[in-house]
Amino acid sequence: MKNCTRIAAGILFACVALLPPGATPLLADQTDRTHQIGSKIKCMCNGCDQAAGKCYHVGGAYSGPCDTAKTMLKEIDTHIAAGMNDQQVLDAMIKQYGPLAYVEPPKTGFGLLAWLMPILYLLGGLALVVVVMKRWRKRPVVVASAVGANGVHVSPELLARARAQAQRETEE
Amino acid sequence: MDVFGSFALILAFVCAVYAFVGGIAAIITRHPLLIKSARQAGIAVCGLIFTATLSLVYLFFTDNYSVAYVVSHSNRDLSTFFKVAALWSGQEGSLLFWSFLLAIYVVSVLLTYRNKNGELMPYVGVILAGVQLFFLTISNFVASPFKVLGVANAAGNFNLVARADGNGLNPVLQYPEMVIHPPNLYSGYTGFTIPFAFALAALLARYPGEKWIHLTRKWTMIAWCFQTMGILLGAHWAYAVLGWGGYWGWDPVENASLLPWLTGTAFLHSVMMQEKRGMMKVWNVWLVFITFMLCILGTLLTRSGVVSSVHAFAQSSIGSWFVGFLCIVIGVCLAAYFKNKDYLKSENQLDSLVSRESSFLFNNLVLLVACVAVLSGTLFPVFSEWFTGSRISVGAPFFNKVNIPLGLMLMFLTGVGPLLAWRKTSTDSMRRNFQGPVTAGLVGGVLLFIFGVREMFSLICFTLCIFVTATIVQEFYRGARVVRIRSGVSWLASCVDLTLRNTRRYGGYIVHVGMVMIFIGLAGQAFNKEVEKELPIGSTISIGKYDLLLQSMDRKQEKNYVADRMIVEVMKDQKPVMMLYPERRNFPTNQESGTMVAIYSTLKEDLYVVYAGMNPQTNLPTVHAFINPLVKWVWWGGMVVVMGTIVALVPNRAAVVVLARAEAPSGARELSGMRPAQVTLREGQINS
Repeated sequence: MKNCTRIAAGILFACVALLPPGATPLLADQTDRTHQIGSKIKCMCNGCDQAAGKCYHVGGAYSGPCDTAKTMLKEIDTHIAAGMNDQQVLDAMIKQYGPLAYVEPPKTGFGLLAWLMPILYLLGGLALVVVVMKRWRKRPVVVASAVGANGVHVSPELLARARAQAQRETEE
Repeated sequence: MDVFGSFALILAFVCAVYAFVGGIAAIITRHPLLIKSARQAGIAVCGLIFTATLSLVYLFFTDNYSVAYVVSHSNRDLSTFFKVAALWSGQEGSLLFWSFLLAIYVVSVLLTYRNKNGELMPYVGVILAGVQLFFLTISNFVASPFKVLGVANAAGNFNLVARADGNGLNPVLQYPEMVIHPPNLYSGYTGFTIPFAFALAALLARYPGEKWIHLTRKWTMIAWCFQTMGILLGAHWAYAVLGWGGYWGWDPVENASLLPWLTGTAFLHSVMMQEKRGMMKVWNVWLVFITFMLCILGTLLTRSGVVSSVHAFAQSSIGSWFVGFLCIVIGVCLAAYFKNKDYLKSENQLDSLVSRESSFLFNNLVLLVACVAVLSGTLFPVFSEWFTGSRISVGAPFFNKVNIPLGLMLMFLTGVGPLLAWRKTSTDSMRRNFQGPVTAGLVGGVLLFIFGVREMFSLICFTLCIFVTATIVQEFYRGARVVRIRSGVSWLASCVDLTLRNTRRYGGYIVHVGMVMIFIGLAGQAFNKEVEKELPIGSTISIGKYDLLLQSMDRKQEKNYVADRMIVEVMKDQKPVMMLYPERRNFPTNQESGTMVAIYSTLKEDLYVVYAGMNPQTNLPTVHAFINPLVKWVWWGGMVVVMGTIVALVPNRAAVVVLARAEAPSGARELSGMRPAQVTLREGQINS
């Protein structure tokens, strides 16, 4: 069964390869899959900075996939027709165009660092907040003196009384 | 006029040098005349920058095509409206425009405080002059907007020449939003210079207390408000013009505008810790420093070409100047901090982990993590090239995956913060405060799930939005009830009265309502639909509940472009709803084209129709249609945020109601002399 699938895929691949450019017959589901995979690969035209599957090409005469994106989508079609799964197609496209074709960094190698960094920031920040809180809780209170607009010194007792009064009067 | 403008600019540079050097001498000698002359030099700098800017605008209006910048960014057919926008459409003009906006802030500060804060203002003047000096150096010697066209003759001299017409303005900039988006964003960027100058000045001068915070609060809020408007107007421009169906693409330049907004937002919250509790002094100073540095970094990213961006219209090699300036700013900030850090010791301790203070700490943590994550993601392609030799792209999916959870945490804290009291919240108070909002959130979430919302992040977001809204409603209700019982007026009048008595607190809540609306809009993105189809005249395309019938096409000749237009009838459930006219504009001057999206917008969803052009292979018109749910909430939310900020900027009508009922007469007399900031001691604790 597995061999039959491979043979069928090989025949399909040969047919696709032999067809003239621009006349590739695509099944509807294959087209959707192509666009889905294309949305994970960057259009390499150096003009739109969009995914190949979603290239709209601002400023161009036509707001649809540019020629580069169309070529890339056809290449994805070819890989699909050869029986590759999504990850294999992505790997093949990255091999061809280099790591600049990633829409998001890979979760392996140096690209993994991009994903780890936000987690590290969050953990580092949390640790910092915990340390700061602990230090604040241990710190002795420095009583700030308050001075009225008329320059009169306001004692801490008066401030405490004002706080209590404000609390009472703003409670339900 | 180009000579006049050029002369004004060089004179502004000379005055800025005097304001800077003379200001330093004034600080050292404390000579009153020197202080006054440095301040007046600072005011003169601003006047001269205004003159230079108006000269450039005049050159655009009079179609003076002997000036290179005017040739590059305008043409005779360009409407007067867009000739104003041409001022900031390129590198040189936008830098002059930056100086212009900064000059408005500087002259306002120098005049407002000319007879106040004598110890602090000379430092502030020197720092502001230093920043102006940097931008004037660039505008005079690196990227002058007044360069004239010339050709070399046989004797080796230059003869001035003038072109008959200009190259025209970039088509994507010829939209109304582009006339107001950059001024707003630049006003945000430049506005953060004021709190930076005051913070650094207070540190250098060891200025006592929280005075610098009180002085700069309004300036910070104004800058933040402009930054918010600038970001949202830019998003709306991208949505209405670029035609890709979205409004935020995590482009490096978009990210650059978000970074100072995030730290500015963190500062606006943490500043309350310093005002009310005398805590987080070091943190606040550094937040202001970092916000200003991020503004400079944002400018560097926009103009240096370090990272690839669709905002390529202003890129050049001046990045190294900004790197140099950034290094100087970092150096000065570090030196000032290490010299005077003992002045920044906190006055209070943390009484409880369950307190408003803790919620502010976590709020700042999330905002800062989001800021650093966006910054490192934006710069990651550069890092990867340094370390591995090849660039790894970081696109929108990465930023969405990282920032959605952080945004949800922030929304959670937006709801929790107001329910916690300063210092300590008792269990009873927590139960009383949280009961209503948590119940509302959970019930809302369950109902949404039952009605078919299955996208996890969107469901969580909607639930949190209900929780936060309930929190705010509860706060207004409880406050207004007290006012109503005392004064007997209606609920609406009570709410207005309550807000006017404490504009900062209730203005802040209105800002939160705006943020909730924006988050609702953002969560709607999970349900977007799109379809693209070649559409012969007379045929129909369906999306969601809508059918779009292409009735015909026409062409209209405008002064500066030719528009090819689709005439589309929109039907819903077989009934005509409205007509839409998506168009493509072709600009013959620079052989470029752009889209003009037609949008049928309701609170529930946007029907967004783009005329993608004639497919070159089939010669058939192509339609790209989207259903974008809840987008309108983003724009309306932005308006509410701006409204809330304006409310928060209004002075309190009656600052101290509690003093009228002071129990001890002598204490009341003593208290009545206090400043409002010192007596609104229980702000945020109505129910605790």
